[in-house]
Amino acid sequence: MRIVNLKVNGVGKTFIARPETTLLLALREQLGLTGAKRGCAQGACGSCTVLLEGEPVVSCLVPAVTVDGADIATVEGLADGPALSHVQQAFLDGFATQCGFCTPGMIMSAEALLDRNPDPTRDEVNEAISGNVCRCTGYEPIVSAILDAAVRRREGAKL
Amino acid sequence: MLTEVHVPEDVPAAVGLIASGATILGGGTALMPALNDYGSPPTALVSLRRTGLAGITVAGSTVTLGATTTLAQIEHDARLALLNPVVRSIASVPVRTLATVGGNLFVRQPHGDLAVALVALDARATLAGHDEPAELPLRQPALVTAVTFERPEPGIFKYVKAARRRFNSASLVTVAATVVESGGIVTGARVALGGVGDHVLRAHAVEEALIGRPLNEATVHAAAQDGLTELSPADDAYASAWYRKRVFPVHLRRALLGC
Repeated sequence: MRIVNLKVNGVGKTFIARPETTLLLALREQLGLTGAKRGCAQGACGSCTVLLEGEPVVSCLVPAVTVDGADIATVEGLADGPALSHVQQAFLDGFATQCGFCTPGMIMSAEALLDRNPDPTRDEVNEAISGNVCRCTGYEPIVSAILDAAVRRREGAKL
Repeated sequence: MLTEVHVPEDVPAAVGLIASGATILGGGTALMPALNDYGSPPTALVSLRRTGLAGITVAGSTVTLGATTTLAQIEHDARLALLNPVVRSIASVPVRTLATVGGNLFVRQPHGDLAVALVALDARATLAGHDEPAELPLRQPALVTAVTFERPEPGIFKYVKAARRRFNSASLVTVAATVVESGGIVTGARVALGGVGDHVLRAHAVEEALIGRPLNEATVHAAAQDGLTELSPADDAYASAWYRKRVFPVHLRRALLGC
């Protein structure tokens, strides 16, 4: 058992972690942030994707004690009050969710892509979400929503 | 299940913990999937995350990759354009953020494509507690602190990974090679293969069949036939052993001749 401190969505959090407590488990069970999902627990499905120091990771593979002191961003931190992030709004407007299980991971992968590359090609979007499985197979609207979000972000930046 | 996860602040502390029986944890992308099963045996881990082993140094043509440098760091380093196609052929973005150079040397095939490339580049591993760098592939588990190689001239290094999908799929056959020609004749060749055995294979028979001959379709075809005898691929969810052997000559040709 160890005490772990994280900054989650900009807010300091402290919790006690067992050795087998993954970052995903800590977020969901101890911090009550259930956006990131436990899908495969193998790092293969991407439903647990969050940002660790600004970069996307599969949080199911990260023992919480190894990231003590880190900055974590989850889907819960994207909206500013009622205003969704550009990616979230584009997903909503473009009907890019079906069952919704993959959506938080998809959105965090998309946010990370657009942080690094504000004007991606469709192929670059495909690569960016290649670790996020949608078993409803709704990939086309998801890719389109991410491209739409890129436009919204760039136009928002111009305002 | 995990009984302890140590997070030492330096290499000597990590070495001590490893000596006491703890298992090395790099990025966790190969180890943690097994340990996330509650039926896994009691395991103590020593995470290398805080040991200060991450970082990329390029001095002239010498490239040094710290052992905990992630595949994502390589991907986004303009000085390592040579390795960009290699790391982008591995897993997915949120896995590459975690996966490390050192860990890649030890994952079982059909994973570990960076290790295939590093064998072809004649990279050497620096091991904690050893003065002499070790040639790859490594035969024994060890605490690697860095990997060093000489960046070849443009066009020397060749890499092809055949997979079921373009992104995020394990290897069917991976071919990495450095081929040096002089006067139309191959004077030096170092060929490494992935996906065709439990571990990275240094394809000595292929190299011998290339050296002293012109790099053309006939030479590569003959080299592939010689190389087939060295392959011991597995049947897995990605492909059968039969299929891997069948397509190996095609991917060797694509890697070496680009067609």
